[in-house]
Amino acid sequence: MATIGHNNLNAKLVLLGDMGAGKSSLVLRFVKGQFLEFQESTIGAAFFSQTLAVNDATVKFEIWDTAGQERYHSLAPMYYRGAAAAIIVYDITSAESFARAKKWVQELQKQGNPNMVMALAGNKADLEERRCVPAEDARAYAEENGLFFVETSAKTAQNVNEIFYEIAKKLPRAQPPQNPAGMVLVDRQTDGSRASTCCS
Amino acid sequence: MIEIESYDFADDVDYAASQQQGSQSIMRSNSGKMKDPEGGEVVYVKDNVSIHPTQYMSERISGRLKLVKQDDSLFMMWIPYKGQNTNTRLSERDRNLYTIRPLPITDVRSIRRHTPPLGWQYLIVVLSSGLAFPPLYFYNGGVKEFLATIKQHVLLVRSADDANVFIVNDFQDPLQKTLSSLELLGVVPVVAPSSAAIAVSPTSESQEKMAECACDTNCGSEFIERPKYKVNDPARDFSIQLLEKFSLVTKFARETTSQLFRENSGENLFLSDGRKPNHIPALPAAPPKLPPNDVQKVSDEVHVPEDPLEFYKLALIWGNPRQPPLSQEEWGDFLDSEGRVVDSEALKKRVFYGGIAHELRKEVWPFLLGHYDFNSTYAEREYLRSARKEDYEIIKLQWQSISPQQAKRFTKFRERKGLIDKDVVRTDRSFSYYNGDDNPNINLLYDILLTYSFYNFDLGYCQGMNDYLSPLLFVMEDESEAFWCFAALMERVGPNFNRDQSGMQAQLFALSKYCLVHWQLVELSDSPLHDYFKQNDCLNYFFCFRWILMQFKRQCADIYFSSFAHHRELRYEETLLLWEVLWTHHLTEHLHLYVCVAILKKYRNKIMGDRMDFDTLLKFINELTGHIDIEPTLRDAEALCLCLGETGAACIPPGTPPSLPLKNALVSSQLEDEILGYTILRKVIADQIASAKEDDLVAFELVFRWEW
Ligand SMILES: Nc1nc2c(ncn2[C@@H]2O[C@H](COP(=O)(O)OP(=O)(O)OP(=O)(O)O)[C@@H](O)[C@H]2O)c(=O)[nH]1
Ligand SMILES: [Mg+2]
Repeated sequence: MATIGHNNLNAKLVLLGDMGAGKSSLVLRFVKGQFLEFQESTIGAAFFSQTLAVNDATVKFEIWDTAGQERYHSLAPMYYRGAAAAIIVYDITSAESFARAKKWVQELQKQGNPNMVMALAGNKADLEERRCVPAEDARAYAEENGLFFVETSAKTAQNVNEIFYEIAKKLPRAQPPQNPAGMVLVDRQTDGSRASTCCS
Repeated sequence: MIEIESYDFADDVDYAASQQQGSQSIMRSNSGKMKDPEGGEVVYVKDNVSIHPTQYMSERISGRLKLVKQDDSLFMMWIPYKGQNTNTRLSERDRNLYTIRPLPITDVRSIRRHTPPLGWQYLIVVLSSGLAFPPLYFYNGGVKEFLATIKQHVLLVRSADDANVFIVNDFQDPLQKTLSSLELLGVVPVVAPSSAAIAVSPTSESQEKMAECACDTNCGSEFIERPKYKVNDPARDFSIQLLEKFSLVTKFARETTSQLFRENSGENLFLSDGRKPNHIPALPAAPPKLPPNDVQKVSDEVHVPEDPLEFYKLALIWGNPRQPPLSQEEWGDFLDSEGRVVDSEALKKRVFYGGIAHELRKEVWPFLLGHYDFNSTYAEREYLRSARKEDYEIIKLQWQSISPQQAKRFTKFRERKGLIDKDVVRTDRSFSYYNGDDNPNINLLYDILLTYSFYNFDLGYCQGMNDYLSPLLFVMEDESEAFWCFAALMERVGPNFNRDQSGMQAQLFALSKYCLVHWQLVELSDSPLHDYFKQNDCLNYFFCFRWILMQFKRQCADIYFSSFAHHRELRYEETLLLWEVLWTHHLTEHLHLYVCVAILKKYRNKIMGDRMDFDTLLKFINELTGHIDIEPTLRDAEALCLCLGETGAACIPPGTPPSLPLKNALVSSQLEDEILGYTILRKVIADQIASAKEDDLVAFELVFRWEW
């Protein structure tokens, strides 16, 4: 969760999305300015941090990069609990990855922190010739669901810093300091439909 | 809290029934005006509710389960009958040990209901402390009423993640829900809260007692469910899987096999209730719970309690010095003139302490993995290699012969191909054996993984398998040999990839149990690290997930953080060494769990000093990647293993991966069914391929278009 101290904000951010959508690549681009053609798959989760300056404050992102394969789905709550922000990533060349992204959005809406800032990233925008997911579809979906949407490319760095910067700007500022010890921030009122998780 | 009512229990027969029955049981008990000796009102009572303290179904302790209402609180209690145990070995002390004294239901976190296809329903009661009682078997029925009665008094909600888990005093934390449904939540079985009385203050006398109890519990055991088959699948899924499996068979084959099945085993062989109870009676019960630690309130200046048995001395005392790798010359001495390994235990021991010279790995690994028999001769192995090569080609042909038209109608196949496609191109690419464009070894990885996903269609492909295969192919340098070594390895670590996480769950569970005993016995009941984890909700040891899943591969093979190529190669080497040591199963089959403990102990001061919470700890452990020094860690792990000996080993339930699954009669007969089906299938396919070769594969085209 976002915590504030003077002008410095700490924010936990989680990346979710289909395997191979480019979650790790986006983080690596953002954190280290690198891109690996053969980024290895993520097992469990990886952790990174990066600080951004936004106006007069700094935001330190604590980034959890999760594993995409469906089989590891049951572990996801461990990573998105208490997250202040989430980037849901799909691959614009894969319709399935877009469908999966929608499921993640649903799950976060049900299970996640209700004040979570959510962004949808249509990654691999450099592969225009292989595009399967029209940008308009994704934008419409994002608008319906109140997500910030942008197409990115970890390869060319297009919109990568921007998406993190946008999130940083959207983070609620006036938060009282939170207990850093992984407090559970699920609001009981908004959590009425826990009975079904979207993906099995 | 109102939304609780919106829960839909309609699909749950037991639950629906319980709604009615519950009120009946209340009425019954009201009219009976039963009063508990202790003054409460008995609202539920059931006789012949039993536990099985050992792995033998025949040994049980039966008793009476009661729910008692006192003032506004509900208590659960279970009292074993006097002198009626099935076996005299079960002493009066066992009786006391297992008794559940009145326990406020509000202390219960969840109740998991198990309904084996054969046999009796049982419940596992998990306390909010994370402890669990041994499974309670309802030999006279009564599960429904039990749940219903509880529901009359406290909030009882069915878990969203698992219809068989009923959460008491519902909590809203999705994490906890996930964990509890995985039973990962640091579930440490407790014999009985009352047994705390046995564990007294840490005098030397009490240590003895504790050790005694711990040993005693070695014989006692409880059931942990570790399904070998995904029993929760509806029968329909099972038959679908079967259809998929058989979709590769010729019409002829189908006719033959289905006929054979009909003849051999009645109609329903695979389709439904032929499935057998899946739980493996295994788990030794926990050591007695220690008195609640008056856990030091973390003061402002962080004080890190001393590790009572200074760990590095421990390694010096117990851990044997590491040796240079097994050399060619020594290897020769292990073999007789015809190539048999004369003393396999000595060989394993030798490898355990020193690893294997790289050039020799290709020869020795297949033994360690069980692909070659230690007693085989050169000639037999030569033969095996060629026979296995043919087998491999046959399995490989199964997917190679799928035409684009068939693939269009074969979603599972396309999905798997897709997963493997995505992963092989990013497997250890910075390692010289796999780098560069169009590296042929990448194609080999692909072929082997896809072939394996046909060979073991049920398990399929899962991320991480590529990581297991990569070193095997690098060492074996032969497609078929790498495949069979991989298949043998998956027999051991395949459960890590079970969809229901049962394999990982069993290992994390064993780890937590081991640590508990370790910290209680070795650290003379002063178990600061355990307490620390407990305070910080880390008792599930989930932060060790990746270590265990990958047998530390990514820890050593530091591929994406290291910038020097030669450094990376070195790391890759370390993985090979660690693996071969683990595979010897010398001392223990679970050295990897001891390795986890060794690393945790090494960083205990840092972990506690920095007051790491769950997230931070997970992060810290991820960041250890590339910083784990294999040789000293192995030595520490060995020391730990020797130090607690049998007592430690007893913390790891039989059948915990990578041990091969326990076979009880029922499971193995199911296996036989499977094997029978599979053998016939293979024979048929082999024949088909033999003739297909002649007929220019025309047969295949015909066959695959045939609809089931
Ligand atoms: N062309 C192109 N390729 C990309 C881009 N982002 C990632 N990739 C490639 O896609 C593959 C998968 O990327 P990862 O970042 O590992 O994907 P992931 O979502 O982290 O995958 P998992 O860890 O398996 O869940 C890698 O081979 C990347 O090089 C991109 O923007 N453009
Ligand atoms: Mg990744």
